[in-house]
Amino acid sequence: MKEVTGAANAAAVTAKNKLASQFFKKGIIIALFSGVMYGFYSAFLTLGMSKGVWGDWYGANTAALSAFVITYLLGALGSAVNDTCSAGWALLNIGVKSKMGDFIRTLNTKPGRVMILAALVGGPISSTAYVVGLQMAGSIVIPITALCPAIGAILGRILFKQQLTKRMMLGIAICVTASFMIGSTSISGDAPEGMFLGICIAFIAALGWGFEGCVAGYGTSMIDYEIGITIRQSISGLSNLIILLPIFGMLSGDVSISADLAVQAFTSGPAMIWIALAGFCAFISYMSWYRGNSMCGAALGMACNGTYSFWGPFCCWIVLGVFAGMKGWALPPIVWIAAVLMVFGILVIAMNPLDLFRKKGNQEPMDQKKVG
Amino acid sequence: MKPLNYAILKHFTKVDEACAEEVIESLRGEYGKFKALNKKAVISALMTAEANGLLEETRFELDQAGEIRIYYHAHEEGADTINKYIKD
Repeated sequence: MKEVTGAANAAAVTAKNKLASQFFKKGIIIALFSGVMYGFYSAFLTLGMSKGVWGDWYGANTAALSAFVITYLLGALGSAVNDTCSAGWALLNIGVKSKMGDFIRTLNTKPGRVMILAALVGGPISSTAYVVGLQMAGSIVIPITALCPAIGAILGRILFKQQLTKRMMLGIAICVTASFMIGSTSISGDAPEGMFLGICIAFIAALGWGFEGCVAGYGTSMIDYEIGITIRQSISGLSNLIILLPIFGMLSGDVSISADLAVQAFTSGPAMIWIALAGFCAFISYMSWYRGNSMCGAALGMACNGTYSFWGPFCCWIVLGVFAGMKGWALPPIVWIAAVLMVFGILVIAMNPLDLFRKKGNQEPMDQKKVG
Repeated sequence: MKPLNYAILKHFTKVDEACAEEVIESLRGEYGKFKALNKKAVISALMTAEANGLLEETRFELDQAGEIRIYYHAHEEGADTINKYIKD
């Protein structure tokens, strides 16, 4: 076989560049798709948690649940039921594709254990920190979680030597600003005591999600992404059910309450239909997030996934506002403006926007390469 | 037996260079029944490994069907990382 040199085999060069370009674009599309599916997962979970037994818990409350249980335990329970459904979809997927053996073999390996750690950090730990932060500091913590793409990109640079140029940092800053603009629409006039501590705890959530995206994305370069997401959702669902819920139960003064509520939640048909759908969307979303990050790096992958801060309210508007006829889900104009800004931010991370105005042959290569 | 993706990466710590077709041929004996041992999935795994600095491209050519065939190798740092995370 002859080595390819310059113009001697222009067809090979063209074919190779086309393949590299397709791979890079596919990575971006997959990462963006993860944001869309995250939006639908949020919307269907919110819808599910308003039906069946949840409607009573959050509404008439005939079960006489305490404020602590409603605030903390139900949030964790919703997350646990969703992640367990999601794990079910992921297991079904690898079962159909005959990857169950590889899933079991992967669990007790170093990359498998790293994936389990990422699942624990991004699952129960970050989710709890977010809920606790929300309760302590109020809705001001919502935009703070928008920092996770920036954190992921910085960790990707430190841990895995991934590329992070000044232009990419500018793009990330634009995306974070856009997410902050969307999150700021959720801020109400609440400023409870312990707000600073609450903000610090919410920052732990952003740190955890940034860590998860970066580490699990890199892990997916070794572990099959479909196996990676099965590990993530199984660990997250199980740890929420077995560890987090009993802890919240103990804190509420009745350790058995978490099991009672979990049984009621899993057997509430009208709610489970929607939560099962939410779980499916979460499975696709996280799988695409990990895969997208592994294909185009944490900086770009997480910025594309970060569009969930637009897709979340957008899908809630479609599913809850338009489809379910609930009021209060319409999107304020700032969300649309922020969405446009976010697209520009992603463009800045992915390529030099000035190249769009230059001749095609003079473009600098796309940023899929890593620094050695 | 290692997971298929591990075996694909590990292959590059044992040869100077390889393309997707050679990887498939080499692993066919042990992993022949795996649905994921196909050209499209292996190329995707190799490109992902390259994007994450585990492998690097050595050369490329067109095969007889006119399709691009890219050869990769694990450079020292990549091979060290693969061996550190994936044991024999």
